[in-house]
Amino acid sequence: MAAMRSSEFGDLVQIKKQLISIIAQCKERGLVHSVKWASELSVSLDALPLNEIPAAPELTEEDARDLDALCLAKSHFELKEYDRAAYFLRGCRSQKAYFLYMYSRYLSGEKKKDDETVDSLGPLEKGQVRNEALRELRVELSKKHSAGELDGFGLYLYGVVLRKLDLLKEAVEIFVAATHALPLHWGSWLELCNLITNIEMLKSLSLPECWVRDFFMAHMFTELQMIKEALQKYQSLMEAGFAKSTYIISQIAVAYHNIRGEGYLQKRVFCCPLTGNYYSLRSQHEKAALYFQRALKLNPRCLGAWTLMGHEYMEMKNTSAAIQAYRHAIEVNKRDYRAWYGLGQTYEILKMPFYSLYYYRKAHHLRPNDSRMLVALGECYEKLSQQVEAKKCYWRAYSVGDVERMALLKLAKLHEQLNESDDAAQCYIIYIQDIFSCGEQLEHAEVSTALRYLGQYYFKNKLYDEASLCAQRCCDYNDAREEGKALLRQISAVREQGEPSSTDLSLPSVFNPLINTTTPVRRASPLDLSSGTP
Amino acid sequence: MASVHESLYFNPMMTNGVVHANIFGIKDWVTPYKIAVLVLLHEMSTTKPMALLDRRRLNKLILPLQQGPDLTLEQFLKIVEECCLRMVNAVKLKLLLMADGELQDMEHFFTILPNAFSDSEAFKTSVVGLFMRQMLLAYNKLSFSQVYKLYKSLQQYCHRDNQPELSALPAEDMELTSNEDPSADHIDKDELDTASLHQSELRSDETRGPLSQKQAEYFLARQAYLLKNDENKAMSPAKLQDELNNILKFNPDFAEAHYLSYLNSIRVQDIYISTHSLLHYFDRLILSGGEGKSNGDEGYGRSLRYAVLNLATLHCRFGHYQQADLALQEAIRIAQEANDHVCLQHCLSWLYTLEQLKGSDSVVLTEDSVKIAAHFCLPYLASLGIQSLVKQGAKQGMPANKLLDALRGTDIMHWKQSLSELIEISLAQTTSIWRMYGKSTMARQQAQLLLNMNSLEPVNFSVQQNNTEAFAVALCHLAELHAEQGLYAVVSDIMKHLKQQFPPHTQHAKLWMLCDLKIQFEKAMNDGKYHLAEPHVTAISALNSTEGLYRKAQLLKALNQTSEASKILQQLQQQCEKSKNIEMTIRVMLASAELHWDSSGFATALPLLLQALSLSRQHNLQSLTSETLLHLAFTQLMLGIPEQALVLVQDVLESVLAHGSLIDKGRALLLAARCQMALAGAAAQEHRLTALEQAVHTLDEAVVYFSQLDCKERMRDIHYLQARLHHTLGNIAQRNKCSMLFRLLDQELPSSGMTVVSHL
Repeated sequence: MAAMRSSEFGDLVQIKKQLISIIAQCKERGLVHSVKWASELSVSLDALPLNEIPAAPELTEEDARDLDALCLAKSHFELKEYDRAAYFLRGCRSQKAYFLYMYSRYLSGEKKKDDETVDSLGPLEKGQVRNEALRELRVELSKKHSAGELDGFGLYLYGVVLRKLDLLKEAVEIFVAATHALPLHWGSWLELCNLITNIEMLKSLSLPECWVRDFFMAHMFTELQMIKEALQKYQSLMEAGFAKSTYIISQIAVAYHNIRGEGYLQKRVFCCPLTGNYYSLRSQHEKAALYFQRALKLNPRCLGAWTLMGHEYMEMKNTSAAIQAYRHAIEVNKRDYRAWYGLGQTYEILKMPFYSLYYYRKAHHLRPNDSRMLVALGECYEKLSQQVEAKKCYWRAYSVGDVERMALLKLAKLHEQLNESDDAAQCYIIYIQDIFSCGEQLEHAEVSTALRYLGQYYFKNKLYDEASLCAQRCCDYNDAREEGKALLRQISAVREQGEPSSTDLSLPSVFNPLINTTTPVRRASPLDLSSGTP
Repeated sequence: MASVHESLYFNPMMTNGVVHANIFGIKDWVTPYKIAVLVLLHEMSTTKPMALLDRRRLNKLILPLQQGPDLTLEQFLKIVEECCLRMVNAVKLKLLLMADGELQDMEHFFTILPNAFSDSEAFKTSVVGLFMRQMLLAYNKLSFSQVYKLYKSLQQYCHRDNQPELSALPAEDMELTSNEDPSADHIDKDELDTASLHQSELRSDETRGPLSQKQAEYFLARQAYLLKNDENKAMSPAKLQDELNNILKFNPDFAEAHYLSYLNSIRVQDIYISTHSLLHYFDRLILSGGEGKSNGDEGYGRSLRYAVLNLATLHCRFGHYQQADLALQEAIRIAQEANDHVCLQHCLSWLYTLEQLKGSDSVVLTEDSVKIAAHFCLPYLASLGIQSLVKQGAKQGMPANKLLDALRGTDIMHWKQSLSELIEISLAQTTSIWRMYGKSTMARQQAQLLLNMNSLEPVNFSVQQNNTEAFAVALCHLAELHAEQGLYAVVSDIMKHLKQQFPPHTQHAKLWMLCDLKIQFEKAMNDGKYHLAEPHVTAISALNSTEGLYRKAQLLKALNQTSEASKILQQLQQQCEKSKNIEMTIRVMLASAELHWDSSGFATALPLLLQALSLSRQHNLQSLTSETLLHLAFTQLMLGIPEQALVLVQDVLESVLAHGSLIDKGRALLLAARCQMALAGAAAQEHRLTALEQAVHTLDEAVVYFSQLDCKERMRDIHYLQARLHHTLGNIAQRNKCSMLFRLLDQELPSSGMTVVSHL
């Protein structure tokens, strides 16, 4: 499939031509976002020589008749005088004029709705303001649709109207039709993207074979948190010739951020106050909170801002305000796992681990493969002296791929506390292997702890070779150097006494491959984070 | 026995079921309906001469109109019409004039509105005055375009019935939000879909707008009160949840709605939503309390503590004792850190309740709790503790006078402090204690006292609280007491009432279920219809495993499956000794003794019976003592010492006749007669006849009791004995009559194989 695609992409010149023509078409219809997207891609491709640049499409008889009206209406449209634009386009027959006519009416309805929201009769009407034009638009468009008179743009508008009316199933059908009619129009794809909730649904749709589809699939994978697939897709797109595309680069960045669980914040950077983030990074939390508040005044349904504000309040140790902000975030979106997690953290700070269990559980439920929630749950259980549950949580956190690489260490310490020295040693071994296998030096000082424990453990079990190995490694770390040396001395003293080293092979060793060990080591994580972390 | 905790409804924001005012935003606003109410008020104050009766009816109408949800014009006019026909025309005319005229007319109305009230009886601070002023204020706050919109909606309101197609529009409308972010929209919709679906259904049948804050508060207070006091009168769970969702949609900051949602979902045993609502409520509460006073005794920190405590009670309610324990420990820890003694006391009282529920001994904890509660002057908690101690003491055989003294002592305090809830519990507890001691008259009297008592609580919404556990307990006792006297019609009446008052899904329904099953089981056993008793055993086991085992043993014994019965009884005895359930232990001993009789092991039954006797005497269990004595007497009779047996029977006869159940009375008399017969056989000739006549007389008395119960088996036995006696005495006519009666019954009943009873 990849090969087929690359051959398709081979003709970059053709793609460039298509882009140029779609840019012109979208521009004529005032679809600015699609224009932006196509232009962005177009810029990343090499410029065409003069004779290659596609000519503007031929004007039809109808187009010619509507030309003046269209011109006037377009200028009104650009000045956001939608009703006027619609008025001048009433009698026009051409497809272009018809689209602009309907689109103006739609936008006028939206604009009125926004105006009303500001100036309504108080909370009485909150949530009751609606775009009054939608119903009429739907009736007219559905007539045209059943008559088969809608072009790609018309279908797109029909889909948007349906979606706004919450007729989601119908909307999906129409958007699919729109992509078939006009595959190059990115807006239809994007709308479709917002309506697809899971991978099964995505697979069930029949989409047109076109190079835009690859962009769509990549975008979809990012949305559905299938980061690995998304990255692969983007990589192949870049290899196919879009290496210079800023769009792809930023999408890759989004994907990487999604791995770290901060995806949607980044994505909505345009609605979130960048300023707030900026202050937050500079630890000026009061100012950050202020800017987030401002952002929320502008758009109270802005998803990220409530959560971010909660984080700021947490930093400022204003727990009650933090709880309030997180609760708002949850009211806007019940699946905002960051807010649930934040609430859990807040209550944990208030020394209410049992209470926070509920919130962590919620967060875990929403992101079952995120180790941080599991570690948090484990810590709460540990505080409540529920060691069995805590152990389960830590082990699970390790199994799904531990981001912070703390779960094993905590598990080991828990085993240590419970005097389960074999299990503890086992965990330390996996921990050390994990740390070393990932290749980079993390700022944990805990490797020394693990080595120290292992040294003592081997010593107690009379595995002097392993013990001395551990002790030597201990000496690499400042905080464990003395103990390492002491252990070495002990070992040599025991050896001089001629005590034989145990040959009990059942004990695990750092230096044996782990397959022999008794603990089931599963690294089956759908989200292999270790490879994804930059 | 009444359990001590009823503080489920404890909530720092709510007292006497009234949600305290909160501090969010605008409370009330002008709607067309409010204008209609204002017009009515205006008309009322300007039309001076009015029939007194009309005026009174209208005055009574004002409050519900102000507090209730917005009505359509039609509904509104209909209500007014029922009160005063003349007024309705005036109001309608005025409204229509205003709607058909110009915006100026409405403006004018609001200008002249205060004048009408300045010289009338409506004071500034009266309900009407306040309402009027609030409306004026809200009206004056409106911007120009808002005033225009209000006028438009007034026009629509007035002409809604003329234009049905206009009013039908909003019903099928979908909510569209001013959302710019498409993805956020779709995520959200996904989650809210069910809620909004329900709402649109609700809307379509009765087109009602959102409630204002005032109306919502009133609604919540009313529903919460009804939930607490008489659940049957509250809205149905599904409908109430719909209303709550509606309120929350338009006013997400209205935290109390979450609390009501918690109570509502507890009603239907929905742990998921109830936990969610409870936590949501406290999250919201924390934010409202957070302003001003932060970590002090009031506000933020306090609600945190109670949040955890409430979570503990929630888990307790659902039987998650381990979870409840963890939550409680957390509550205790943070209350300790904050030095909140009151909260700690609440925690402590929950701690001992939890221990009791888990089945461990909590006397020491309870005593501590009482002491500390008394020290901190928390009468409610102290009394609860004492009541709990009394309960435990009664089970462990504390002297009766001490228990009753303790209860009386707390009762005096309850009456002084008007703690009506505790008075009820105390009465129910006294009923239970008297019942346990076998003093049925006293038990009946206490139960009646509770049922006839006028509650001290203020009666709101014309609902008096009668759905507490105390009422359920008292009614169950009454039902059992009536069943003992064979008054089954009364029993079924009481059961009907219980079923109605405590529907099967409610918290206390298990009480009457068990009681009902026990009564039916006893009845089936007395009637000898064992096949009917069998399904009851299974049902009883589901509600109370110990009781179920005991009943099963009884049934097996009656069916002559002796070895199985004996096995079960042994098992039961071990269980009871472990759980220190004295009443059941004695019952099991008696049942085992009866098993010995069946195998003619009368001598082996004796030590068991003596042990049972000492136990029952030690615990003042009079009815069980009498029962044991009767068993002993029977054993003696069978062992051939009728003199002793008769003495024993005559000793207990008095108390059995005074307090015992019908069947006990009959059995005691039958036994006495049999002793008399046995003695007569050995007596000298001249005394013999009188002794036999006495026995006949006793049997006559016994047969009355058995016939009341319709206990045919026993009646057959008695008729047999009577016929024999009359034969000996030479009363041929009497003999024939008795033998005929015997014959009739014998044909009716399956032959038992035993001519003369070898049981009591």
